[in-house]
Amino acid sequence: MMMRGGRSMVSSPPAFSNDAKKLLVCTSNTVSVFSTATGLQITSLEGHTALVTSVVVVPPSSPAAKVLCYCWTASLDGTVRYWDFAVPELMKTIDIRVPIFSMVIPSFLDIPSEGKGKHQDLFAYVFTEDTKETQEKTKALRRQIRKCNLSKSRLVGRLILGETKKAEVLTVSPSGKFFGIRNKCRLHIWKVPDLGSEHAAVRKITLHHTKKITAIAFHPTQRIIAAGDVTGRILTWRGFGNIAFSGSNGVENQKLISIQEDKPGVRDNDDADSCSTWHWHSAEVNVLSFSSDGAYLYSGGKEGVLVVWQLDTGKKKFLPRIGSPLLYFIDSPDPTLSSISCADNQIHLLKMPSMGILKTISGIKAPCCYPEMYKGLDSGIAFDQTAGLAALRTENYCIQFYSLLDDRGISEVQVCERNHQPGDDATVIVTAVALSVDGSLMSTSEVKLAEEGIGGLVCLKFWQAGSQNKEFSLSTIVYEPHRDAGISAVTFHPSGNMVVSSSFGGDFKVWRCNNDIIQNDQMHQNFSWTCHSVGSYKKRPMTAAAFSADGTVLAVAAETLITLWNPYKNVLLAVLGETLTPIVNLSFLGKSDNLVAASCGSNPQLSVWSMSKLSLSWSYKLRIEAISSAVNSSSFAALALLPESSNETTFKGRDGVILLYNGTDPVPTAIWSVRKAKGGALGFLQVNPSSAEEIIIDGKTPEVLLAYMNGDHEYVVFDPYCKDAHEVNMSKKEGLSALELKGQGGQYGYESIYGELPEFNKKIPETPWVPSFPSERPWETIFSGSSHNLPPLTKLCSAFLESLLEKRTASVE
Amino acid sequence: MAEIRAEEQTSTISKTFLIKPKLKSKPRTLPQTPESKYWSSFKSTQIPNLVSSIYSLSFSPSPPHPFAAAYSATVSLFSPLSLSDGDVSPSSTISFSDVVSSLSFRSDGLLLAASDLSGLIQVFDVKTRTPLRRLRSHTRPVRFIKYPVVDKLHLLSGGDDAVVKLWDVAGESVVLDLLGHKDYVRCGDCSPVSSDLFVTGSYDHTVKVWDVRVDNSKSVLEVNHGKPVEDVIYLPSGGLIATAGGNSVKIWDLIGGGRMIHSMDSHNKTVTSICVGRTRKENCGDEYMEDRILSVGLDGYMKVFDYGNMKVTHSMRFPAPLMSVSFSPDCRTRVIGTSNGIIFAGRRKGKENVESGGRRNILGFESISEPEVLRPRYFRYFHRGQSEKPAEGDYLVMRNKKIKLAEHDKLLKKFRHKDALVSVLNKKNRENVIAVMEELVTRKKLLKCVSNLDIDELGLLLMFLSKNATMPRYSSLLMGLTKKVIEMRAEDIQNSDALKGHIRNLKRSIEEELRIQHSLQEIQGIISPLLRITGRR
Repeated sequence: MMMRGGRSMVSSPPAFSNDAKKLLVCTSNTVSVFSTATGLQITSLEGHTALVTSVVVVPPSSPAAKVLCYCWTASLDGTVRYWDFAVPELMKTIDIRVPIFSMVIPSFLDIPSEGKGKHQDLFAYVFTEDTKETQEKTKALRRQIRKCNLSKSRLVGRLILGETKKAEVLTVSPSGKFFGIRNKCRLHIWKVPDLGSEHAAVRKITLHHTKKITAIAFHPTQRIIAAGDVTGRILTWRGFGNIAFSGSNGVENQKLISIQEDKPGVRDNDDADSCSTWHWHSAEVNVLSFSSDGAYLYSGGKEGVLVVWQLDTGKKKFLPRIGSPLLYFIDSPDPTLSSISCADNQIHLLKMPSMGILKTISGIKAPCCYPEMYKGLDSGIAFDQTAGLAALRTENYCIQFYSLLDDRGISEVQVCERNHQPGDDATVIVTAVALSVDGSLMSTSEVKLAEEGIGGLVCLKFWQAGSQNKEFSLSTIVYEPHRDAGISAVTFHPSGNMVVSSSFGGDFKVWRCNNDIIQNDQMHQNFSWTCHSVGSYKKRPMTAAAFSADGTVLAVAAETLITLWNPYKNVLLAVLGETLTPIVNLSFLGKSDNLVAASCGSNPQLSVWSMSKLSLSWSYKLRIEAISSAVNSSSFAALALLPESSNETTFKGRDGVILLYNGTDPVPTAIWSVRKAKGGALGFLQVNPSSAEEIIIDGKTPEVLLAYMNGDHEYVVFDPYCKDAHEVNMSKKEGLSALELKGQGGQYGYESIYGELPEFNKKIPETPWVPSFPSERPWETIFSGSSHNLPPLTKLCSAFLESLLEKRTASVE
Repeated sequence: MAEIRAEEQTSTISKTFLIKPKLKSKPRTLPQTPESKYWSSFKSTQIPNLVSSIYSLSFSPSPPHPFAAAYSATVSLFSPLSLSDGDVSPSSTISFSDVVSSLSFRSDGLLLAASDLSGLIQVFDVKTRTPLRRLRSHTRPVRFIKYPVVDKLHLLSGGDDAVVKLWDVAGESVVLDLLGHKDYVRCGDCSPVSSDLFVTGSYDHTVKVWDVRVDNSKSVLEVNHGKPVEDVIYLPSGGLIATAGGNSVKIWDLIGGGRMIHSMDSHNKTVTSICVGRTRKENCGDEYMEDRILSVGLDGYMKVFDYGNMKVTHSMRFPAPLMSVSFSPDCRTRVIGTSNGIIFAGRRKGKENVESGGRRNILGFESISEPEVLRPRYFRYFHRGQSEKPAEGDYLVMRNKKIKLAEHDKLLKKFRHKDALVSVLNKKNRENVIAVMEELVTRKKLLKCVSNLDIDELGLLLMFLSKNATMPRYSSLLMGLTKKVIEMRAEDIQNSDALKGHIRNLKRSIEEELRIQHSLQEIQGIISPLLRITGRR
């Protein structure tokens, strides 16, 4: 095994701990615990073997129990687990053997506090898939809502509350009295039985709507339920279930009353008093949540705007331009803190009444969808080998720097000064990103698409890192570097002061850095890039470029040929040829004199060329997605896509292999099969001595690590030379958790102003005013206190004198 | 405090991006160095109508440093204070019987010596303008006179009789006749460090250094400039002199035995006058003054020469041959005299009259005796402390800087695309129009906007296109747009005469551009074989 990361943090809703200092986020098979004060990961709960779908924090039964950190998690592996996430430690595992899509535990919300004597069972309602009874039922209705007795670790037999075609998310009301799901145009609401017995009848009502419902929320105190639909409407039913949930024989009552009563807005004799509609969102509503006092309703959707509705008046407030569709809004026990999860794998912690963003827990951003012509050339991921960072293009015209070793986003560089609106067509595309070897310089290229043939623009930008790590600032913009032709590749010279950009327009340009140090208020290095030379070969489109390790040779692929140049003098040295289809990827092999080229198209090819003989050494007919070569050794790794025919049978859904070659040897030294290889990337990372002690494999540190990032931007980092690929042990940075503890206590509201209230205690201790027994140093205490509390002087005087005498004797002893 | 911290930490995800025009490429050298900014900060005033060329300009060493200008048979005194008010009339004028050739103030600024072409030297009281002494000994026109820097009793003069004379002013007698020059003596200067040393320059190409303590009245040092010497000055250190003659200014090291250090040859015609100027320099936070040589020439240029780095740091052109230059000791005024009777006086803004201001403070001291106590009945009471400056150790909570949005930015934010385009077309800023058009292209709304424009607005757009469509910088966008506009709005254009006029203009400018392209191609056709041939060799 190896170090994994880059997992989605927004697959299911996160949960706050009871003191609102921690946020529990489901990250595929684990639950990561983040600190809300620092936004950094503290620990993770590891044990589930499939995607964790729900995490429920046990609420405190008394104010003193706030510090307790227990949670239940449910997963697709069919287990429900109980954790103490402060330690973190697995306390209990319940195996119910069916995948759980969603779980709610309403009943511990009203656990009787005096219930020490008779222990009540804890029930959870789980949304499962029925795997056994496929023959009997139609396949469509395999998803079931069932009840699970957590105390006895089993499902309550045969009690199926409902069935749907698709897995939906169970929503529980904050009071713990109801829970519900959405099912197409209907809402199903169940009332949680009061008694903790297993087979108590669970009552259900259904509310109808004409559009597909996408989100629901329960009011914390009143019988109000809000639902959002695909068209962006928000419906609010008031007084739902008045009939069905009130009397014991509700069915009769409902029929009687429904005829007489006027129920504005309610369809189909649904059991609700009224239904009102709000419409602001233009696309589907994904997020609905009532504030903890029930006065406001939060809604959000695809537009990336959080809307706050005042429930009584319908007045709106906005947190606009979040830039990504909203997925979840979670209130914390601290009324000033809440979180929103966005589709771009970011969790923002909001300071509540003002809705300012306090911290962002930044996951790796998903690959962005581009028009067809800009796909497939390059995965667009650059690796900073020394710092262990990946630079990824994101949908909001940024380059995200993601630390592969720490598994968190470091920074983002806004490449185009535009705001991204989710759902817009991409008209500006960042096509390439390149980093210099030391990671201090970056080059990006972008294309602005033309509107019916006018106004297209290609830009090449050069960036320099500031003194702060990875805070890049723009140093040079080149408009239309190759006239109107698109840029196919941008590569840095090993020394960092030279960049080559190749274009489909048939030429490549070598850019040089003029490094003037301006001495104004502080030492300020100013890099400006100018074109040093232009080269072309028979007007052929240039499709890839690479510098040799010592920087003396520049290889530029002119479609099927490889041209070798002296980059300083701009002299053509040699031409290697030729492959069957255009080359898309070129790379020199470390310090050796070999060049590896990958070509795509109908006749894909991986070929290794010898520079000394100027001839082809060997080649494979492989569809190559990415190549990476190690800097110091002659080995290189290639990510090859498997032919689709062989997929199903031999590789169990794995569609790619990573091949590790050693230089000119055509037999790969190692092969790993991987999933989701399409759009994947490979990068060698150097282990720098400072972090070396953290990464230990078999007691020795590896020289170099290989990072593989798949098409969904999940990645693994492993030592490619270790035969059985042991796990890369990362000793978790102690600093993070220590930092967490140091942060001041999370007091809020009244406590933050006046401090902790003393426990109100009715029994006032009856202590006499004058110390009845001679303490060690009574002269210090007898005069303390306000004057009207002091006993009469006669009493005091004797006590005082006595105390002095005491002292004398004490000192004599 | 905790609240403030928390406020500070919050941030918004989205930023407001303004619609900015494309960047222009920057020139490699900065358009204005700090020094040229300094020299340009002298606000220029013309003192016209002074009849003939200004032979000599001299500043009084005593504040407020009035200056005297000699032109034809007149010497006028000007006050630099009135210059800043735009008043260019002389404060006083002295008339002579012959053309005045040279002027010099005594070190205390009370006396002014003037020489004329009749060979007479007169010493005036500056205040009363009465001649106190008349020194007559030169047989030919006197070309320069100079008071020593500290010595108040003597005067140095030289003339066309090739003799340099040292005068005892009080006794109207010649102390020393210094012989040695073989041609007209045109210039001279007294050492700033010693009252015994002085230097004179002559049309015999030589500059001689004299020491009055040498009894045989021969020069102690002689350097050859190579051209008739027009002006010579001591640089403030006393060890260097600068000589002007021909097209060059040369710097000589006297202590090193008359070695030439540098020759500045950036003038195109004869350098007529030089003087020492001072510029403000900033380095590592502290500010100090650095000396420069100001030289003027018949080519109409004033050049500022940094003799520390041997570089011309600033150069300024004037519309006439320049004859004389002078720089005030307080570094706030520089005057340049031309050959056609105009003085270009430049005055820099600064604190007016430090002394008098101080005096005023002393006088006004009594009125500030009691600080006014603010009471809640004043409106000011509620504003108290608002203009308080933060102390050094204070923790500053910055208010977010407000972004100023232009009208088109606001309209684009509201998605009123057509209105944004029209508003920016009305603003007549070409760069911004292009930027808005590019933004509309990225929103895929430009053609929609074009189809929605009404006739007047279409006229605006066509006018813009006819002016700018052929600009190479914008043509890639605008030519395509022009084509589309004409295709889409052909009917409207045919129905309106005004629009037809715009189209005619457009056609004309495109034809013009085509003609240029054709001729350029012809030139290219001629040149490219030549280049090919030279490349083969």
